Amino acid sequence: MSLEVRGLHAGYGRLAVLHGIDLTAGEGELVAVIGANGAGKSTLLRALSGLLPVTSGTVHLAGTDVTGYGPEKLARTGLAHVPENRLVFPSLSVADNLVLGGYTRRRGPAAARKEARDRAMALFPRLEPRLEQAAGTLSGGEQQMLAIARGLMAQPRVLVLDEPSVGLAPRLVGEIFSALGQLRDDGLTLVVVEQNARAAFAVADRVSVMDRGRVVLEGDPAALSTDPRVSGGFLGGGFAADADATTEAAPATGATRAADRR
Amino acid sequence: MTDLLQLLFAGLSQGAVYALVAIGFVAIFTVSGVINLAQGEFAALAGLVAISAVGSGLPLLAAVVLAVLSVALVAVIMERLVIFPVKRMTTLVSLILTLGVSTGLKALMLLVYGPNAEGLTPLTPGSFSLGGVSIRYQELWILLIAGVVSLAVYWFYERTLAGKSLRACAEQPVAARLVGISLTKASLLSFLIAGTVGAIAGVLASPIYFTSWESGLTLGLKGFVAATLGGLISVRGAVLGGLLLGVLETLTAGYISTGLRDAVAFLLLIIVLVARPAGIFGRTAEARV
Amino acid sequence: MTRRLPRIGAHRRRSRRGDVIGIAVVALLMLALPLVASSSVINVGVYALIYALAALGLSLLMGLAGQVSLGQAGFFAIGAYTQAVLVTRYEWSGLPASVLAVAVTMTAALLVGLPLLRLRGHYLALATLGFGIIVTVLATESDFLGATSGIFGITKPELNNRTYNSPTEYYLLLVPVVLLGLWLARNIVESRIGRALGAVNDSEVAAESLGVDTFRLRVQVFVLSAAYASVAGTAFAHWLGVINPNAANFPLSVKFLLMAVLGGVGSVYGAVVGAFAVEGLDDGLRRLIPELLPGAVGEVQLIGFGILLTTIMIFLPGGLHQLWTGARRRMAGDTSAPVPEDEGEARLEPVADDVPLLAREGRPAPGTPLLEVRGLTKRFGGVTAVDDFDLTVAAGEIVALIGPNGAGKTTAFNMISGAVPPTAGEVTMAGTRVEGRKPHVFARAGATRTFQNLQIFASATVLGNVMVGRHLRSRSGMLGAALVLPARREERAVEESARELLELLGLGEDADRLAVDLPFGRQRLVEIARALALDPDLLLLDEPMAGLSGTERRELARLLRRLRAGGMAIVLVEHDVEAVLALADRVAVLEDGVRIALGTPDEVRHDPAVIAAYLGVEPEDEAATAAAEAGTP
Repeated sequence: MSLEVRGLHAGYGRLAVLHGIDLTAGEGELVAVIGANGAGKSTLLRALSGLLPVTSGTVHLAGTDVTGYGPEKLARTGLAHVPENRLVFPSLSVADNLVLGGYTRRRGPAAARKEARDRAMALFPRLEPRLEQAAGTLSGGEQQMLAIARGLMAQPRVLVLDEPSVGLAPRLVGEIFSALGQLRDDGLTLVVVEQNARAAFAVADRVSVMDRGRVVLEGDPAALSTDPRVSGGFLGGGFAADADATTEAAPATGATRAADRR
Repeated sequence: MTDLLQLLFAGLSQGAVYALVAIGFVAIFTVSGVINLAQGEFAALAGLVAISAVGSGLPLLAAVVLAVLSVALVAVIMERLVIFPVKRMTTLVSLILTLGVSTGLKALMLLVYGPNAEGLTPLTPGSFSLGGVSIRYQELWILLIAGVVSLAVYWFYERTLAGKSLRACAEQPVAARLVGISLTKASLLSFLIAGTVGAIAGVLASPIYFTSWESGLTLGLKGFVAATLGGLISVRGAVLGGLLLGVLETLTAGYISTGLRDAVAFLLLIIVLVARPAGIFGRTAEARV
Repeated sequence: MTRRLPRIGAHRRRSRRGDVIGIAVVALLMLALPLVASSSVINVGVYALIYALAALGLSLLMGLAGQVSLGQAGFFAIGAYTQAVLVTRYEWSGLPASVLAVAVTMTAALLVGLPLLRLRGHYLALATLGFGIIVTVLATESDFLGATSGIFGITKPELNNRTYNSPTEYYLLLVPVVLLGLWLARNIVESRIGRALGAVNDSEVAAESLGVDTFRLRVQVFVLSAAYASVAGTAFAHWLGVINPNAANFPLSVKFLLMAVLGGVGSVYGAVVGAFAVEGLDDGLRRLIPELLPGAVGEVQLIGFGILLTTIMIFLPGGLHQLWTGARRRMAGDTSAPVPEDEGEARLEPVADDVPLLAREGRPAPGTPLLEVRGLTKRFGGVTAVDDFDLTVAAGEIVALIGPNGAGKTTAFNMISGAVPPTAGEVTMAGTRVEGRKPHVFARAGATRTFQNLQIFASATVLGNVMVGRHLRSRSGMLGAALVLPARREERAVEESARELLELLGLGEDADRLAVDLPFGRQRLVEIARALALDPDLLLLDEPMAGLSGTERRELARLLRRLRAGGMAIVLVEHDVEAVLALADRVAVLEDGVRIALGTPDEVRHDPAVIAAYLGVEPEDEAATAAAEAGTP
């Protein structure tokens, strides 16, 4: 297993948010975690990458117990986190953002750094002409690409992404997710947290559904999409609504179905 | 006209000292959001260390180097002892903490060096006259060294990986941690920079403006005003702010009243803060260094 | 939520009794001192009492308004100088002179505060420091004020033909003044004003949205704090007999700060305890250090101050008060704990769907246009988050705002409620133009909101949170609060109505818990209860269903219908599209900041642009993309 999470509890101060999360991602697997706002998805990622202390439970990264590692150490061990809202370094150039992405590998072989950068550029050729531009001047979609590219510069084993689709037009969402699929095909392990369940279902190998701090459903997307608890909207929230859309082949029928159910 | 030139020149060299102190404020503030009220004490301490080292027979240059190094060390120790242990640094806490350090350093200087103000031996003594304007060689040194140090700091932030990593911490601390930059190391580095430039300001200023245990207060405050004029997040703004403040002060002292000199800085501060919180040279609120 | 310095404020657990006990203990100790101490110790005590007043004012500013002033000595000096001038130059007697001195200082504080309090945090602190220095400079430069040598010959006060010239007499004269100061301060802290300011410290935008005019309150506290300093200044002038520019000096401001911090900013009486501790330390160090280090002269005691300030901030940020409450808590055994999520759901009162709720006299008749939004636009840098948005909302209807994540819904809410100024466009609420003004203007016009990223008042109980919602429905001000009597009945009414609302939302049992100890879902309900406490005509809800269980969602939907039946207008942003379509009368759809559809749920459901945009189109599906683009205006 590239990433193995067992019985993870975490929260803010005295308030517990995660109540025992189990999650695994094998090598070259893309796992999507979906759920409504407030389900605890971002909290899970923050705990995974060490931004938030873990109350109990364990996290293993490629066999190493990394529970309690801080984000700096985790980045060195091989987990890269692409944060919600991209958080690129706005006044720094695109090239400098990439250089800082490889900060933990700054003493590593230059060849490996160059290879990581070439791969990132091949994945997002749109960034190439903008290398000298300040990152803050990029469009939302380009900033998302940069954030992912920056994550890749750390030469990670596991890449976790927090809501890469936020604020992006559907076409860009497609572009981002097909890039993620490509990374998976190249053997990278990915965990994607999404509210846009539809986009996630399209590329994920496995899907975990979170509700109020727990994983309530787990399985491959095809099986889950026919699960009555998903398509029937039992879980409520954005997940159910989005999942409805996902299970339908064409958008028009989706709307019709929604209308039919009334 | 000669008067004006004389005042302008005096203002610029005074302003260059403010600029260096201001850079220290910017270095620390951008990384940790702390306004270091002990920044002026760094300068005063460096001046006093150098004076006493010269007094005990050390050559001037060695004394200056010793002063800068020891103040840089003090800054680093301050970060470890006072800033690092605090888990949640709020404005209130950071102000009180650095005020405490400032007060403690002041009293320590009083105990060790006594209450009198003294001046360090100038790098080059004497002065010359140029078109009626009297210029001290030390003032030229101040302008030259302050210029070189400012450029070096600017180059550091623009061109080196360490400098860029500090900017990353300033702009997006969460993302900086996620790419593996240690915020605690960044904070330490920022104090090292602030201590060093503050100390350089102190030894440069001492021969002309004299140093006492108390001189850090106004110097620190003027430095803060300068940094604020520049928007508090930009090295370039801090330098311009320092020069502007120095010139305005000497013009006020020369044409209105010497006593009002100190009031000018703070009136300016209040006016700028209320009217243009991003600083007069600031373009946007976005974090820059 | 980051933890800040502990703050003063109502409806924090144990704060009420803690302060009363603290004040009583302090009073006893103050009165006992002259019985046991020597004259030189009492002399130190006189200064402690004088400074305590100034420190108390600063403590109020820090605790209530969350702002640090490094220029408290400036106001101290203004009070002292005014008193000195009136007594020595115009031969006023002490008491009327001090009344005028306080009035002059408060006026000065108002004039200084109006521009300065637009600043926050570091900037305010350093600007007040600058103010202190300016006062010193002006005093030094003014011949009228005696320049550097100051004003001499201020006599000891005389009351009822008795001259207070021994330390003990002066001390006993000051004790009642300090006690009065403590009593007034405590009343303000426990009042509507104190509660509102506590809320501002926790979440300014939420407090503003409930009608709290932050700026106004901050100015009031600033002026009040200066008033305390000026009383101290007048007492100081009479005791010392001479006043010079040192009275405005920075080190004195630092001393006041140290007193407030050492005693504990989270308490009222702490400033007095801190004042005695600091004055004792000051006196002790002045004697001790020259003995240890022969030749040490001048302000050597500062070293103790510096060390004390830093160590307190690192190890005991709540000051001595923290030790005291910690000990009390250990004795009592702390039983509080967060509520586990599985402890059960909030039970909203089950009632038939259409029973009107919170209907009241004077509510606009259903159908009356309440909110008019015209051409609302927001650009961040090059990105247009909201583009030319129009919306009209009438009383008694539910309008939903839906759209993909990042479509600009929350930005639209922020502009409508005044939290964010729009780049262009107009917002009119019940006839008042509100765009670009603060949220309290929106609240005053009868509208409020909840927040997607919860903005709960973290240091208050659930009840305390909801009571802030009654801010505009109660009116006792600073003076009434200080004198307590007129405000008490109103407080009881506010608490009663807040409890009723909590029952309505099924939070009755949580009323006295800290709001942050509740699970997110229930915190959301607290925000809704808090908003309803304002008794608004229009309610904006940002994702009210998020984090709620299925049952809670249904109950909330029922509640919203009942509110609509009571004549309230509701606009909600919601991700749960099905819930929205079932609930709303009209639906507006946003995509990329543009309103692409507006209509009944049925119309929106069948709108091709909505289907294409909101439900998304496969990127490889060229035809559908083209159709969607053609359908977008």
